[in-house]
Amino acid sequence: MRNKLSFYIDRPSPLHRLNPLTKLAVTFAFIIIAFSAPWYWTSAVLFVCAIIPIAFAGKIGKEFIRAGINLMLPLFAFLFVMQSLFHPGGDTVLFHFWFLSVKAESISFAFLTTMRILVMVSSFLLVLLSTHPSYLMNDLTQRGMPSTLSYIVTSTLQIIPQMQNKAGTIVDAQRSRGLNTEGNLGQRIKALLPLIGPLVFGSLVDVEERAVALEARAFNAARKKTSLHEIPDTTWENVLRWVCLILVVVSIGSNIWLS
Amino acid sequence: MGLIRSIKKDFNTMTWVLIPVAIAINVVVGEIVVLLRLPVYLDSIGTVLVAVICGPWAGALTGLLSNLIWGALIDPNALPWFPVALFIGFVAGWCGRFGLFKSWWKVIIAGILIALTSAVVSTPIAVYLYGGITASGSSFITAFLMQTGHDIISSVLSTNFLVEPVDKITTAMLAYAIIQGLSIRYISRFPRAENVEVGKKGNTTTQIIIAIVVAAILVVVAATVLVTMLAG
Repeated sequence: MRNKLSFYIDRPSPLHRLNPLTKLAVTFAFIIIAFSAPWYWTSAVLFVCAIIPIAFAGKIGKEFIRAGINLMLPLFAFLFVMQSLFHPGGDTVLFHFWFLSVKAESISFAFLTTMRILVMVSSFLLVLLSTHPSYLMNDLTQRGMPSTLSYIVTSTLQIIPQMQNKAGTIVDAQRSRGLNTEGNLGQRIKALLPLIGPLVFGSLVDVEERAVALEARAFNAARKKTSLHEIPDTTWENVLRWVCLILVVVSIGSNIWLS
Repeated sequence: MGLIRSIKKDFNTMTWVLIPVAIAINVVVGEIVVLLRLPVYLDSIGTVLVAVICGPWAGALTGLLSNLIWGALIDPNALPWFPVALFIGFVAGWCGRFGLFKSWWKVIIAGILIALTSAVVSTPIAVYLYGGITASGSSFITAFLMQTGHDIISSVLSTNFLVEPVDKITTAMLAYAIIQGLSIRYISRFPRAENVEVGKKGNTTTQIIIAIVVAAILVVVAATVLVTMLAG
């Protein structure tokens, strides 16, 4: 159903070499600052002066823009139109349209919201484009996250494509037996069970076997597990993470202080 | 100590292995629903399944990770909604603990409880992050309410109360139907197998049909309420 899972693009760049935790810290700092800083243009400036240059420094600029347009443009068009039309309050009416009126306050609110969401989604996108999920999990496990959590994430990443293939097979098989998946709403509701039934029961069957296999390999052992790959971390990245924390505190503090 | 023991009880190896499969079920069933163009999401069937047979803490973890993985693989726009998924799993787990997944009509109550939780938890996210209007089609209802003089919070909340029950009751029903289709031997290996009674009475097909009928009735009711609201 979907060919490519995960946004990750393998490419040598300074951004790819950064420690995953640093990237996460910067991302969350961007998001919290975008939502908490009292200055109106903060998120727009963050996006233009920080996120876009980082994307190009990471050599993922093209993919970043393409994914950004695919994921966000329809959403933003919708959000912007809806909010400038319907956001309550404000009295500087710019123009009337049928029974609706567009106010300057609504437009400025719509711009603020879309810019904040843009910062949020695009900075996550940067992390996702430049970090393989299992690399991130590996790093977090080395920092003390329970290895069972990284088992869940990495094995989910393997199971989803398998299940998507299985779902594709089931959809084809049921269609070839005459199941109507494109009729009216009633017919489509009726098609739901024959599609998800075999899929779900089929995948639940494997669970027991996998549990036995894991138990046989000391999955529950309480000792510290060693890792095949060591993930590099430098002092200046540690400093950078602290700087992020300070910026976040300053941003939230100025928000509270000014309001 | 009681809390820690309660959390620990939810997790045995079967739970750890079931969670990835449940997340994959969330994702793939969600895609099938999109393929069939049904007016629901049904993207938390796996979460509810784990919550019922493994407990609320496992359910909450499944919801959380499911949302994060959905955000990381398919659409980063899903990421800020992780508390909703987390609470769906948590509440579904407690519904299971209180025996609400033992017969189909109790499952409807569970579905309503899950829907209310989901509506309440998603409201502040929609209001503070998105200013009330989100990417989903139900935002037209919110916009209508806001335009007719309601404030943002109550508009978003009433929209959610209107939209969520259909989705969550259907989700709970399908999770129940899946559990009914599993064998007693299989379920007994999970930490909270006592939450469900498999093969008690009636057969699965009748219950699934009832579930679909109930869901269909709710769709009609929700549509009627919507129409009356738009007219009034």
